[in-house]
Amino acid sequence: MKPQMITLHINGRTHYVALNPNLTLLVALRDLGYTDVKSGCEKGDCGACAVFLNGVAVNSCLVLAAQADEGEILTAAGLGTSEHPHPLQTAFSDAGAIQCGYCTPGMIISAKALLDHKPHPTDAEIRDAISGNLCRCTGYAQIIQAVQSAAEKMDAGGEG
Amino acid sequence: MENKNFQVVGQITPRKDGVARVTGQEKYTVDMTLPRMLYGRTVCSPYAHARIKSIDTSAAEAMGAVVLTFKDIPPIRYNERIITVEWALHKDHYILADKVRRMGEPVVAVAAETEALAEKAARAVKVEYEPLPVLIDPREAMKPGAAPLYDTVMYGDKEIKIENNIACTRDVIEGDVDKAFAESDVFVEGTFKTHKIYHAQMEPKSVLCRPEPDGGITVWATTQSIHNTRIVLGQIFDIPLSKINVKRMAVGGTFGSSIQMNSVVPIGVALALKARRPVRLTLTREEDMHDHGRFGTDAHIKIGAKKDGTLTGVEMEMIADLGAHIIQGYSFLGVSIGWVVSLYRLPNVRYKGVGVYTNKAPGCAMQGYGNPQATLAIESLLDELAEKLGIDPLQLRLKNYVGLGMTFWGQGPMVRSIVWSDGVPELLGKGQEIIGWDKRESPDTKSGRFRRGIGLGRGFHTTSAGAPQPGDVIDFSGALVKVNQDGSVDVVTAMVDHGGGTWEAIAKLVAETLCVPLDKVNVVPSDTFSTVYDVCTHATRGTYAGGGAAVKVAEQVKKEIFETAAHYLNVQPDALKLRMDHEQGQAVIYVPSIPDRKMTLKQLASRTWSESWKTIAAVDSYRPTNCPPAYVTIFLEIEVDTWTGAVRTLQTALGVDCGTVVNPDGAVGQLEGGLSRGLGMALYEDNEWNDQGQLLSKGYWVDAKTPGIMESPALKDLNTHFADTYEPTGPLGAKGIGEAALNPVPAAYANAIYNAIGIRFYELPITPEKILGALMEQENMVKEGVH
Ligand code: FES
Ligand code: FES
Repeated sequence: MKPQMITLHINGRTHYVALNPNLTLLVALRDLGYTDVKSGCEKGDCGACAVFLNGVAVNSCLVLAAQADEGEILTAAGLGTSEHPHPLQTAFSDAGAIQCGYCTPGMIISAKALLDHKPHPTDAEIRDAISGNLCRCTGYAQIIQAVQSAAEKMDAGGEG
Repeated sequence: MENKNFQVVGQITPRKDGVARVTGQEKYTVDMTLPRMLYGRTVCSPYAHARIKSIDTSAAEAMGAVVLTFKDIPPIRYNERIITVEWALHKDHYILADKVRRMGEPVVAVAAETEALAEKAARAVKVEYEPLPVLIDPREAMKPGAAPLYDTVMYGDKEIKIENNIACTRDVIEGDVDKAFAESDVFVEGTFKTHKIYHAQMEPKSVLCRPEPDGGITVWATTQSIHNTRIVLGQIFDIPLSKINVKRMAVGGTFGSSIQMNSVVPIGVALALKARRPVRLTLTREEDMHDHGRFGTDAHIKIGAKKDGTLTGVEMEMIADLGAHIIQGYSFLGVSIGWVVSLYRLPNVRYKGVGVYTNKAPGCAMQGYGNPQATLAIESLLDELAEKLGIDPLQLRLKNYVGLGMTFWGQGPMVRSIVWSDGVPELLGKGQEIIGWDKRESPDTKSGRFRRGIGLGRGFHTTSAGAPQPGDVIDFSGALVKVNQDGSVDVVTAMVDHGGGTWEAIAKLVAETLCVPLDKVNVVPSDTFSTVYDVCTHATRGTYAGGGAAVKVAEQVKKEIFETAAHYLNVQPDALKLRMDHEQGQAVIYVPSIPDRKMTLKQLASRTWSESWKTIAAVDSYRPTNCPPAYVTIFLEIEVDTWTGAVRTLQTALGVDCGTVVNPDGAVGQLEGGLSRGLGMALYEDNEWNDQGQLLSKGYWVDAKTPGIMESPALKDLNTHFADTYEPTGPLGAKGIGEAALNPVPAAYANAIYNAIGIRFYELPITPEKILGALMEQENMVKEGVH
């Protein structure tokens, strides 16, 4: 197998990488140090690896890195920083929606994908949006609450 | 002494590690890399039971991979979980398999420059197997003539023979059951079965090892106990513990799955030592599913009672499905009867527990450690008894539960203590009101497609395995607390936080004790080199024992603060007091009667520093002499769709008596998480094996039926409440929650389903298929009755 050159724009930075064409975007991102993209199953079951690829939330373990060539990628770390967290990140932290935190980056990506299209989601819409993300710790109630409260804050502050 | 005027404890505060976790900056073991690191892979057996005839590694070695086989590893059998004392510990496990006893067992390990090359090298290894008969059902495995998994195993330092695949047995007799039964008016009994379900922690188990120039190793590992991991590595590799450093990591949930040194750890260490390079080894999700699971149980239980509902005694026989290795089977047999007799007063006991090897994933601790299985049985039987006697199930429980002043078995027959705080009546009362218990009707009044039912499950979990005397379970913690030059405080502990907020609780307890604002108290990163021993984050002991150690040491620091400040302020140390000053963001040491004699902790600490005197610090160990029960009651209202068999949760009342509530939002999270995992255990999760020892889920998580967001009840229907209690043996009155939150959940579902459709289920999970089947049978019986 011959390595292939691809270009990935990740959280506003451009990376030129040589990689085997059978590698997934998940592996490529983590190898580049974007370990905020979590690996849970590598089979599309858990949602821990969710990122935005050209504005669409995808499970990065189900996308070949080569398919993302020239793509714009946004990961949870790209959404906000310690000083300026995204309202969803603040809400997750404040609402008790994190325990071990391993599912959290993927959850936040799925939640943002929802709020991008539906700023005022119903309980059912939130469940639908998060239905591809597993969390073994929280029982999900506080995650739903976090998404609702972020939606309210973003609405009031015009953010997001 | 009871004092609930807390400034930090009981406040809702943003979690200290929250920002790192929501922005993805938190590093778990699987996220760690080192320069010149190699990637490890294991060659896993495609058979569940087989002899290894030959291994050819030449092709893998030709690719440049470092390869390990059985002949390269120390020939030592170990037990990965050393919470049990040596004399009661079975050891049957080598780093790589001498013989294959479960699907996916690591037979060969390789390490290579890239993950892809490691995978290729692993595939190039040729192993010839001689398949042996596969034993999935413990009852089959126990039959004379069944293929033996083992000839011998180690028990302590003795080698013992294994007959009929029975790894261990345990008999417990208390009082006189025959006499008690002869004097009983009524009996209830049943055979309850639970399955070997999967922990489904989100982080795959991983290890990173770096060989050090002095012959030592540094290890980053997914584990609940850094010190026990170090001790086992020392035993296997014969390296002095002073040269083994295990780093405490953030852990992506465990639910018991990393109570031990995980199987990847010694493989990773052996690879790194052979390669003389760092090696990282991570299980795939499929490998993880074969690596561990809950203990399956099959228990026959009979309880006797008097006409007035007083319980007289219990007889119980249980077969535990240990899987391919015994990790903690012997203790499991002990705790299982312990949970039973600690739920309700059963003074006469006859118990036999048998632990049996099968060709499945080894059983290890999983939230509750046999408690949800035992509670399912007892809470179901209590409902049956109440119906027989015409007593309100809630009253029957109040009459018989083990509460204030009574003896309680924390971890099996050898860990007993007294109950000092008891919120059970309050929890039952509140739950009764929230769920509308009094409008509960009997199943025969219900008809139509959708039938509603209300059910109750009450339970508890031991907080730590502390006791007045040593037993067969090691239980103590330690802490180092030091005051920095600016008045901030470092807490150095080996205790792992697997997600529930243990570090947050420890920080709050120390902040409260030293009157230092919470943002200036940090539980700092640590490892085995920098900490004194802590046994493990298990047994719901994080806050109680880990927090207990931190408070004990913080009290010593407080004493030293007073003695040192007394010198500067020229007063008696006993005259000094501490208060939290939010404006200055400091602890202030003062004399109530002389207002100008005061100084901040910062002033004190910077003077002891600049005057070349000392660091104000203390370090100590703490052995809890008690293991108080954290009580939980779960009331549920559910609806059974009699056309599809689906069960929907309509309303819940989740109550806990955890003593002083340290992290209120975290405590709610524990209850809700417990409900979710308990609901999975009750209704969905099975993790079935076929007769060849293969998982039917084939390693696909979705097919293991871990509950998702669609299965979780709506937020508005989750009601959580706390009992107002104070545990006198706990740090600032606290007990734990953790496992208690799950233990009664499956029982509550079984009881609610019975109340809805009048059918009692004795085997989990209660799937729609089983409900439909039972409803059909019920209908047929009615029809036959008519004709
Ligand atoms: S790692 Fe991609 S869905 Fe689980
Ligand atoms: S917080 Fe642990 S898996 Fe979601």
